[in-house]
Amino acid sequence: MSHKSKILAVLSLSLALSSGGLAQETLKIGAPQPMTGPDAPFGDKFQKAYSMAVEEINAKGGVNGRKIEVIIEDHQAKNPLAATVAEKLITQNQVLVLTGGRASGQAVEIASVAQRLKTPYMVDHPSADIITSKGFEWVFRNNPTGSIYPEAFNKFIVDVPGAMPKSAAVVYDNTVFGKTIANSVMTFLKSKNVPIVNDEAYPVNSLDFKPIMTKVKGNNPDFVLLVAVSTTDAILMTRHAKEMGVAPRAFVGFGGGFGVVDFAKQLGPLSENVFSSAAWSGNPNEAATKEFYAKFKAKYGFLPKEHEVEGYAAIYIIADALKRAKLTGNVDADREAVRQSLLQTDMTTVFGKIKFGNWDGPLGDKYTNQNTYSREHSVLAQWKAGELLNVWPKSNAETGYVFPDVALVR
Amino acid sequence: MEIFVQSVVSGVLTGSLYAMIAIGLTIVFGVMRIINLAHGEMVMLGMFGAYWSYTLWGIDPFVSILIWSPLMFLVGMAIHRFLLRDVIPKGELNTLLYTAGLSLFVANLALFFWTGDYRTLNLPYAQWPVRPFGIAVPIALAIAFCMAIAITTALYLLLSRTDIGRAIRATAQNSQSAALMGVNVKRIDTITFGVGTALAAAAGVLLVPSLYLYPTVGEILITKCFVIVVLGGLGSVPGAIAGAILLGLVESLGAVYVSVAYKDTIGFVLFLLVLLFRPSGLFGVGRS
Amino acid sequence: MKHILAAVGVLILFVAPLLTNNSFYQHLMIMVLFWTLLGASWNLLGGFAGQVSFGHATFLGIGAYTTMLFYLSLNMSPWLGMIAGGVLGALVALPIGLICFRLRGPYFSLATLAVAEIVRLVALNWDQLTAGPVGLLITTLPPLSLGGHAVNWESKIPFYYIAAALMLFATVLTYAVSRSRFGAYLTAIREDIDSAEAVGIDTVGVRVSALVLSAFVVGLAGGFYSVYFRYIDPDAVFAISLSVEMVFIAVVGGLATTAGPVVGALVLVSIAEVFRERFAAGHLIFYGLFMMLVIRYLPEGIWGRLRFLLGLTR
Repeated sequence: MSHKSKILAVLSLSLALSSGGLAQETLKIGAPQPMTGPDAPFGDKFQKAYSMAVEEINAKGGVNGRKIEVIIEDHQAKNPLAATVAEKLITQNQVLVLTGGRASGQAVEIASVAQRLKTPYMVDHPSADIITSKGFEWVFRNNPTGSIYPEAFNKFIVDVPGAMPKSAAVVYDNTVFGKTIANSVMTFLKSKNVPIVNDEAYPVNSLDFKPIMTKVKGNNPDFVLLVAVSTTDAILMTRHAKEMGVAPRAFVGFGGGFGVVDFAKQLGPLSENVFSSAAWSGNPNEAATKEFYAKFKAKYGFLPKEHEVEGYAAIYIIADALKRAKLTGNVDADREAVRQSLLQTDMTTVFGKIKFGNWDGPLGDKYTNQNTYSREHSVLAQWKAGELLNVWPKSNAETGYVFPDVALVR
Repeated sequence: MEIFVQSVVSGVLTGSLYAMIAIGLTIVFGVMRIINLAHGEMVMLGMFGAYWSYTLWGIDPFVSILIWSPLMFLVGMAIHRFLLRDVIPKGELNTLLYTAGLSLFVANLALFFWTGDYRTLNLPYAQWPVRPFGIAVPIALAIAFCMAIAITTALYLLLSRTDIGRAIRATAQNSQSAALMGVNVKRIDTITFGVGTALAAAAGVLLVPSLYLYPTVGEILITKCFVIVVLGGLGSVPGAIAGAILLGLVESLGAVYVSVAYKDTIGFVLFLLVLLFRPSGLFGVGRS
Repeated sequence: MKHILAAVGVLILFVAPLLTNNSFYQHLMIMVLFWTLLGASWNLLGGFAGQVSFGHATFLGIGAYTTMLFYLSLNMSPWLGMIAGGVLGALVALPIGLICFRLRGPYFSLATLAVAEIVRLVALNWDQLTAGPVGLLITTLPPLSLGGHAVNWESKIPFYYIAAALMLFATVLTYAVSRSRFGAYLTAIREDIDSAEAVGIDTVGVRVSALVLSAFVVGLAGGFYSVYFRYIDPDAVFAISLSVEMVFIAVVGGLATTAGPVVGALVLVSIAEVFRERFAAGHLIFYGLFMMLVIRYLPEGIWGRLRFLLGLTR
């Protein structure tokens, strides 16, 4: 070969090699989250969780040699924006799969878009039953639905002698979250013939709970069940209840504002012994979970809870599906491949076991692609000295429970 | 019976704090005929001021009010002098919208700097309520109530006994005549806006130990505020007080005896009824 | 000159979505049309008649829920449902107008706010009718075929043209009103309602008519919202922020002008999108700042100033 053609050959070979390298693009995962606005703290939690999972997976060589990437888009907790950014992620960023959403209203929009544009959506946290009960074959969910949150509480009152409430006051917010959970727990209590002495739906983000709590106090309920998706509602509700002198054998919250560390930080001793029955954050008695907690705390400085664990697990579930899927480079075909792959999921993450299936929920919803282990993923925890610790079922418990609540009214 | 008394007490206490916010809004309207949609953000700034001075320097909000209220008085004057004064001549609608833009700007600037985390200020001595006659009275709210009365009384004295107060009232009655009588109307406008802002901030400082704060809390507060000032009559200070207490009572009793879900609706319905049958409000300055 | 501009505008309108394959840009175009529609209908009442309503979202929500409910329970085609939504919005506007127009200026504005909040709370709590906070979701749209081809509802194009048709309707309506005696009455009421009354104009009747007309168009837009986004809940369609945004668009674009809302919508949607992407944490700050700057330095609106500069004012 002449000198010139050798150079040409080397040039074209290196070009070919480098474009071959370009073909090894990252595997893209889209995640609409609230990054600004009042829900921003939650978006932040998911961002941290996703980052940690992505770093770990990529450090171990990625998925089949390719790196994964999570693209977060801000939907500001607004439904139409959630639909817009989901579409953007699908059509412009060409993501293979979606996760995230955070609040149910936005998640419903994302699910609707994902279903229409044939892109898999692996729900990590949003709890509205409707997301997996519309028969959407492109939507999958790892976390339990709202109607399943009370499961652990239901088990507690049945299994612990003397714990069945003699009466219950139920106060919940006027959101999908509040209504679904309240409905679910009231349905169960009614099936056990427990009289519901208060059934109060309040407008979310209320400034003042004293009137409601005055009303509740008048009925002297045995148990007081509170549902609040908003942290501030949960805090104010509990404070005002105790100020008004409501003194049941137990205060029971159901995740949302009752499961966030701010609850205890702001209420101090007023948060003591309040229960929360909600989606769990993994079994703390298992080595893998303990290790995750330690790693997360070391990296970010606080202990992960429900949101962080769900986000972290979601990335691992998606990575597992991506690994098993035959990706050809044609986006539409690949999305279908990922969907098929998700259907075959059978693994364990820090969050727990996962296998997607079609089954009936406690309020009669027909689920499609809902994690079949969801009913086991509800745990009853209790606030003790500023920490939310699992107390029921025993296999999950980190400590013993305190019941009945020592009356805090002076 | 106990429930009734408890509801009334809670309603009155909460109402008194709403009143402080409403008074600021109503005097601004009385003097300048503008509705300041950014008023809620002034309250929010007062709340944050009290929060930071407590968290960073340990100053009790009931003490730091002496710092924040005068400071916000100056801020209010600056806002009027440099922002609003040139917009007001462009008309009611434009001014209203300008303040809406200001509200959006301030609330989101706060959100940007201080993040959307919910915060509460817990005073160690106000953990448990006192219980005179078995009625729970939260301490922080009770102190706030007393201070609100003190501040309102001071305002009353300012308006009735001082020259500036008289100038303000004259401008509110008829700005042209007041100008003819030698009142520097422009200066009075600025001062009044300052006073309104100072009152809003004071209300915020007093509210923060009993409520929660986050940068967009102004939205909820301003809506209640409007209902109150219209109920009481735009421009009337006693009206704002009466309207606030009334709203506090209606919400409290409504929640207990009618329905919790609709408790805000009751307030709005009452508001519409008053507008229809007594449009100038309970103590209105006669504008229908 | 005006006619040339209008013709060019209509041409762009018809051709725009075909210039790109990117469905996200098409979506943005649809949003511009949607907001123009809302701004224009608010303008009828707020710009021409000077009655500032902060509760227009009421009619949007009513339109949206009517369309959804008629489709889900009665299987009525959503296209008919949209019109039903407009009609229902107009019907509801009647009592609202009769009540609220007894009031003037800021009192009127606050009353509309109160009404909007009441309707929102009712929608939130009346589960049996509206499914409350859970909201209503549609998954498929009824098949439609035009000229032998089935309409592809997965594409944005059909929605674009529907939105464009609605927007043209609103614009033409605005133009017709501005040229009519009715429009003159509205202006008279805006400038000096007492004199208008003295001259014999039925100020209540005229204002209520303007509100009803405005509500009809907003109701139509609500119907479009349901069909396009396919999911509604009370906070999405009855929120105060929607009402306020409608006002902004009319004001920033140019009150009491026909083309103002188009300009307003273009500007606001573009800014919102640009800032949302670049300054993830702070776009609303610029939104508020921008509002303040426009109102202070361009109170006649952007189009109002452009119109003046181009010598188009008559």
